[in-house]
Amino acid sequence: MAYSDKVIDHYNHPRNVGQLDKSSTEVGTGLVGAPECGDVMRLQIRVNPDTQVIEEAKFKTFGCGSAIASSSLATEWVKGKTVDQAMGIKNTDIVKELSLPPVKIHCSVLAEDAIRAAIGDWKKKNGVEEQAGSAVPVAAAD
Amino acid sequence: MQTAESQSVNAACWSCGSAAPAGKAWCDACGKVQAPSEGVDYFTVFGLPRKLRIDLPALERNFYRMSRKLHPDLYAQASPEERQWSLDQTSLLNDAYRTLKDPIARTEYLLRLEGIQIEAGRSEEGKPKDSRVPPDLLEEVFELNMQLEEMRMNRKMGEDDPQLRADLEKARTQFEGQLAAVDSSLESLWTRWDTTIDNDTCEPETDKIKDEIVALLDRRRYIRNLVRDVNEALET
Ligand code: FES
Ligand SMILES: [Zn+2]
Repeated sequence: MAYSDKVIDHYNHPRNVGQLDKSSTEVGTGLVGAPECGDVMRLQIRVNPDTQVIEEAKFKTFGCGSAIASSSLATEWVKGKTVDQAMGIKNTDIVKELSLPPVKIHCSVLAEDAIRAAIGDWKKKNGVEEQAGSAVPVAAAD
Repeated sequence: MQTAESQSVNAACWSCGSAAPAGKAWCDACGKVQAPSEGVDYFTVFGLPRKLRIDLPALERNFYRMSRKLHPDLYAQASPEERQWSLDQTSLLNDAYRTLKDPIARTEYLLRLEGIQIEAGRSEEGKPKDSRVPPDLLEEVFELNMQLEEMRMNRKMGEDDPQLRADLEKARTQFEGQLAAVDSSLESLWTRWDTTIDNDTCEPETDKIKDEIVALLDRRRYIRNLVRDVNEALET
């Protein structure tokens, strides 16, 4: 199967690979796995406590090229967004951006799950209530 | 329930009109090849119940016997329809054999027949799925992957460090042991599943077994990847 140019670019030059201090209260960690293929992904965010803006994001993925590209892209996208805005990132946005074929959709789902898990972890650490429907969609409907 | 249904559907032979169980490649009465019935499952192709323990030598013998009976040479003089059906039946038979002889493929196939979707990811809409992977397994797998990567990187940079090789071999032994443990748990689940087929057990019980099989197969995929990666690391 041919990967799109964007996937190859992220794969060859992954952005924001690495890790943040898991124990810091400003850091949220999401560790997720895709049972379909056995791939695992960790995505971490560092949130400014005053503004709730995600200032830093790191990932480490053991998986296919699409999963690496999806998580790389996800770290780029969450940076500079507030946590609520970041909750609005959908796997379909990633699919579109990277032109993922249907068999690779679950790889983008993994990245969305990772964002949510990281934010969830940060919220739990900081005692922020999960509010249903509070997520602000980022991709403005056109 | 589904099993009973699919097996009770009878079709009439196109040639002699006698009733034949759906899914049979030939008419029992006149021996003519039949058009593959729609949606026939691989167990039915071999006339097997939906059980997970399979007599592999018997499966193989049956496969070759049936393949011979469908051989194109035997249909050289037959009508175009029959020739086509023999080809269709052959490819169905090949698919069925390939799936059933492999224990994991067979188990996954059975789950799919039972309405459980394993490989397919979420749809494009991305509905939230309940995470089927236990968090501690994820932690463990992630940690092992990190160690593995470190070993491989060290290895790539330095000479062939005997300590690293020893570590990798140790990891391989460990992962292979885990894989073997999963496989033996899987085998006992097969037995439990087969017993429910024999006893026509109530649904809550079969659902429980199915869930356990799904969880085990999920776990197996992670461990299989680790085995693969450690072997790769040892080869390079
Ligand atoms: S193939 Fe599973 S994450 Fe890509
Ligand atoms: Zn007949």
